[in-house]
Amino acid sequence: MQIKKQTKGKALAKAKKLGQKATINLIKEKVLLGRGGAGFPTGTKWEMVYNEPEKEKYLICNADEGEPGTFKDKFILEKNPELVIEGIKIAMFAIGAKKAFIYLRGEYEYLENRLKKLIKKANIEIVVGAGAYICGDETAILESIEGKRGQARLKPPFPTVKGLYGKPTAINNVETLANVPLAIYYKDWNPNLRLYSLSGNVTKPGIYELPLGTKLCDLIKLGKPKNKIKAIYFGCFGGCMPHCEKTKLTPDDICGKDCIHGAGTIIAVDEKHSIVDVATNIAKFYEFESCGKCTPCREGTMRILALLENISLKNADMKDLNTLQELAEVIKETSFCGLGQTSTNHLLTALKYFRKEFEERIKEQKDRRRIR
Amino acid sequence: MPDLLLTELRKIQKKDGYISEQAIKKLNKKTGIPLSNIYGTATFYAMLHTTPQGKYIIEICNSPSCFLNNSLNIIKYIENKLKIKSGQTSKDKKFSLHIGSCIGCCDKAPAMLLNKKQYTNLTKEKIDFILKKLK
Repeated sequence: MQIKKQTKGKALAKAKKLGQKATINLIKEKVLLGRGGAGFPTGTKWEMVYNEPEKEKYLICNADEGEPGTFKDKFILEKNPELVIEGIKIAMFAIGAKKAFIYLRGEYEYLENRLKKLIKKANIEIVVGAGAYICGDETAILESIEGKRGQARLKPPFPTVKGLYGKPTAINNVETLANVPLAIYYKDWNPNLRLYSLSGNVTKPGIYELPLGTKLCDLIKLGKPKNKIKAIYFGCFGGCMPHCEKTKLTPDDICGKDCIHGAGTIIAVDEKHSIVDVATNIAKFYEFESCGKCTPCREGTMRILALLENISLKNADMKDLNTLQELAEVIKETSFCGLGQTSTNHLLTALKYFRKEFEERIKEQKDRRRIR
Repeated sequence: MPDLLLTELRKIQKKDGYISEQAIKKLNKKTGIPLSNIYGTATFYAMLHTTPQGKYIIEICNSPSCFLNNSLNIIKYIENKLKIKSGQTSKDKKFSLHIGSCIGCCDKAPAMLLNKKQYTNLTKEKIDFILKKLK
């Protein structure tokens, strides 16, 4: 695995020799894209922070991996934390930050001590989160480190201009920072190798390092599913699609199916499970994790859950499916931050590709009522 | 730079088991951060508690990967065994139960955290074994 390679401080030494600007340019040339889900070019982000005239700057390592079905950052922090720390040091040097923070999610608290040992005297502080999915959002993470409720900020200004304590801040994902030393030190570093977190109805779940463009069905085969796989969920926010032979793991190919490639999260659902039940489960997740700042998300996720529970448990009408669809679209278009805007992707794609299952469930209940 | 409130609150919880009104007032005097802000932060995060918790806090995952691997049955089994529902603490103050979001153990589902320690590939037998050992 490329991600398990080591650089032992040599990448940092090389960066220091090159100087700030040349390091940033090197990262730009190597086309390192953010691995947190958005895929923003890392070199460009660093350059934006570097160009700010402000003296005080910060770097944040986003280790708040909250997307259900994602565990690649945990894998890196467990198997090769040295690489992440070196990546942080290089990023700090490149953008001119004197202090960095690692925002470690509360669920990964057990990793804190080992990281602390590796940090030694570097000016890197670990802030342990306390269980809030929203804090993976780059502006919510700022609020959380500042000790506030982790609610997203209005953009612009972007964190690269006004971030932590109002100072220019670069926020990079764990996998991104782990790739920084590799990109700088190894000539044959491959920017297309990604970590995929495979879970769900497979017998061999785990982290698979594969190049972009790999056929989705090849990854599923590696997972050795017991039953036939019906649907693929790209985490909760990425939406779902039917499992087919042709799909390739590239952002473009998956976007064409209305899903989001994101951080390489693949949850396989087999024939024995109902999409209605999975949708209800995910709706419960969003209802719980909505931070409450804006109305469409706060109230909407609650109403979506109520409608879905009505379908899966009690009595619903075909009309309710239209209400569900309409509400999902409104939430997507009017929510304040990424959480709300993507909170109904799973439902909109489920209604697009698996509408029959919803209709059948409604009919089933109607028939049952008639018998009574 | 002001004190990191989240870190302070975690310290309090580690010492007292939860974040009491008294502790919030004390922290307000020490740091000058307004009471409302401290309370706002303390109540926002799922892992910070403003009510007394049991000696053992169980946080069990019910996100899709665990859900697809039978987590609902495991949750029901624990609820029946401890006679508490999510968000409650047992009468003998031994256990608190929280059903929560993904804990990143999707490849070893279903999973839970017990006082922040991971327990994975849960079965009813495994739950029996884990709970029996706790005093």
